[in-house]
Amino acid sequence: MFQLEELIINLLLNFIAREDLNAFLRNPQHTATIVGSLIAVSGALLGTFLLLRGMSLTSDAISHTVLLGIVVAFILMGSVFGQHPDLSSVWLIVGAAVAGVATVLLTELIYRSGLVKQDAALGLAFPLLFAIAVILVSRVVSDVHLDEDAVMVGEIGVAWANTNSHCLSGCESVTITPEDPRAETTRQCTNCRALGISPRDDKAEFTQICTNCGHYSPAQAWQAGFTEQEPVLVFWPKSITVMAVLTLLTLLAILLFYKELKLSTFDPTLAAALGFRPTLLHYGLMVLVSLVAVGAFDAVGSILVVAFFIIPPAAAYLLTDRLPRMLLYSSLIGAAGAYTGYDLARGNLLGIADLSDILAALNNLFGLGLSERWDSSISASMVLMTFLFFLIAWTFSPKYGLVSTMLRRRNQRRSFDHQVVLGHIHHHQDSPAAGEELAVSTLYRHFRWTPAKMQRTLRQLRARNLVQIEAGLVSLTGQGETHAHQFRQTQLTNESVGE
Amino acid sequence: MSVHSGRDPQNDSATALEIDDLTVAYNSKPAIWDIDLRVPEGVLMAVIGPNGAGKSTLIKAALKLIPRAAGTVQFYGQPYEHVRGLVGYVPQRGSVDWDFPTTVLDVVSMGLYGRLGWIRRPGQSERESAMHALEQVGMQDFADRQISQLSGGQQQRTFLARALVQDARFYLMDEPFAAVDAVTERAIITILRQLRARGKTVVVVHHDLQTAPEYFDWVTLLNVEIVATGPIATTFTPENLRRTYGGRVAYLHEGQRIAGLEEE
Repeated sequence: MFQLEELIINLLLNFIAREDLNAFLRNPQHTATIVGSLIAVSGALLGTFLLLRGMSLTSDAISHTVLLGIVVAFILMGSVFGQHPDLSSVWLIVGAAVAGVATVLLTELIYRSGLVKQDAALGLAFPLLFAIAVILVSRVVSDVHLDEDAVMVGEIGVAWANTNSHCLSGCESVTITPEDPRAETTRQCTNCRALGISPRDDKAEFTQICTNCGHYSPAQAWQAGFTEQEPVLVFWPKSITVMAVLTLLTLLAILLFYKELKLSTFDPTLAAALGFRPTLLHYGLMVLVSLVAVGAFDAVGSILVVAFFIIPPAAAYLLTDRLPRMLLYSSLIGAAGAYTGYDLARGNLLGIADLSDILAALNNLFGLGLSERWDSSISASMVLMTFLFFLIAWTFSPKYGLVSTMLRRRNQRRSFDHQVVLGHIHHHQDSPAAGEELAVSTLYRHFRWTPAKMQRTLRQLRARNLVQIEAGLVSLTGQGETHAHQFRQTQLTNESVGE
Repeated sequence: MSVHSGRDPQNDSATALEIDDLTVAYNSKPAIWDIDLRVPEGVLMAVIGPNGAGKSTLIKAALKLIPRAAGTVQFYGQPYEHVRGLVGYVPQRGSVDWDFPTTVLDVVSMGLYGRLGWIRRPGQSERESAMHALEQVGMQDFADRQISQLSGGQQQRTFLARALVQDARFYLMDEPFAAVDAVTERAIITILRQLRARGKTVVVVHHDLQTAPEYFDWVTLLNVEIVATGPIATTFTPENLRRTYGGRVAYLHEGQRIAGLEEE
């Protein structure tokens, strides 16, 4: 991980000065937006397949149970290896992946018993694992990175502060030993506490101890004044690296196994018959979901991760009916949600409105004592913005949106009304009863329509030059004849090969 | 217990599919029981039986899509894993989500994925093969359609094209005639006959007793156990049908015409 960061930094320093890079990364907005976008893109890519497999909620389950994997790995690392890893440690990620797969396995085990339905099995399995994790967090683990708040909404806002420092030059690290002339020593009584005596007591025995011995990183050595030259440092937020690696991994897996994932999602039976292993692919997908979920957990907590997996693909599903485009659109929607979500958390809605101004206006109007500084959860704001994009797709999607569906239905209804009238005229215009059936004034009765609807329909038909009215009788024009005839041919006979 | 009548497939021609002692159970309840079946090469065979007789189960178990409780299945003397490329499979139309975001041509290309193997992507030549298969089923104009826009019959023909593109030697089809219109039914049977003319062996789960003698030359009557199997002329008899359907079938025997009534 550390070497990878160095590689990225060296690459970036070709384009940007070190001071500018540090300044850029020290801005909470930049790190939060980068991390949020990476979560959104990897979540959207995997979520697309989850959505199409009808297992959207599995991502919710996994994003909760990865906590168990993290906690168990945390405890194991602490008690077995005696070290306290932070949330970007590889072992915690492995633990989370195991927990994710365990969730799916447990769900299937419960389901296979044949006693509960699939959704209930999921609802049984994941709260169990999550509950165990929550108890372990509160009883066993005491660490700033694993409190209940972090579990709820994550700490994407402070992701910029958790950095690895990379030294570019002046990288002198210092180790102070007791023999070093710079070592500061002091006497310490070795038996005072045991005997309950004061250091001034005659029986007190002393030993020399060093107060500043140990290893100093270049930054620490400079601060302590051990080095002449200030080291040149880049502070790189750890969560950017973690999410970048996970996003790359996701992208690579989907690029390599696109064909296999598509087939086993669309038709698992054929996938099995052709010798692809749908079960293997299924669990591979679950491992990826777990990995992204644990990376995202650090940033946005377990509750909201599911939104990054589901909302963007659900929006993209309404915008296209090609899988590659669905993957692209959902990634873009996710990233846009993360980008604009940060602004929303700071009170800026898409650059259109400043929420602080709205609060101030409310205070002025109604005399409310609302705080006028808008500062809210970043992860929740990102979810809200992503949902806003979903709403836009839901309403305005050209093909499946509410508006276009409504318009299409209205057109269909209207065109059907037209056909009904044309058919009626076609049927009766040469019959003896034509005078009675086709009188404009009473035509509406034959359809049991209101006179207004009849008038409107006739007006539209005349505008299309399909009917004409002579002496109070309605009849088809030549064009109307053709139209009525074609309708009978295409709509009232069964479908044919090639239509 | 199998009733061989007419020519004996083992002497007459090579055996395409051989099933021995096959039993499949769902929750310890047998779905098919002790099946012994030989399908000679080059026949167009119907698998006929009442609902719950295990027709689909038989096909799925032959392809190892569901676990077998006992028995062996061999295509051309080999287990299925060794000859996947020789066997084409048409699942039931309702087994997939037709709202999946993809095109007709893409679904047909999926038939070639087995030949491509892992990771390799379909390219221009695969697209051409898929297009050719679509032409065979009369769907070339639908290549770029989103699959949710297809009618039931068109969906079935898409599935058929997906099997054709595999260029297999042996085809297993699960109810290709289910709920399709008359035009599609004729199109499908034409394709099945073309396959037989090219020496392929085709096994079809079929529901319509009325059309069976006209469409097929070989038949297996199934009701959990095999009731009878052999040439349709000698096997598709009122007596065998009564044994298969347990007296629920009303038949009238005038020459080879048998009209069947089936539950549902």
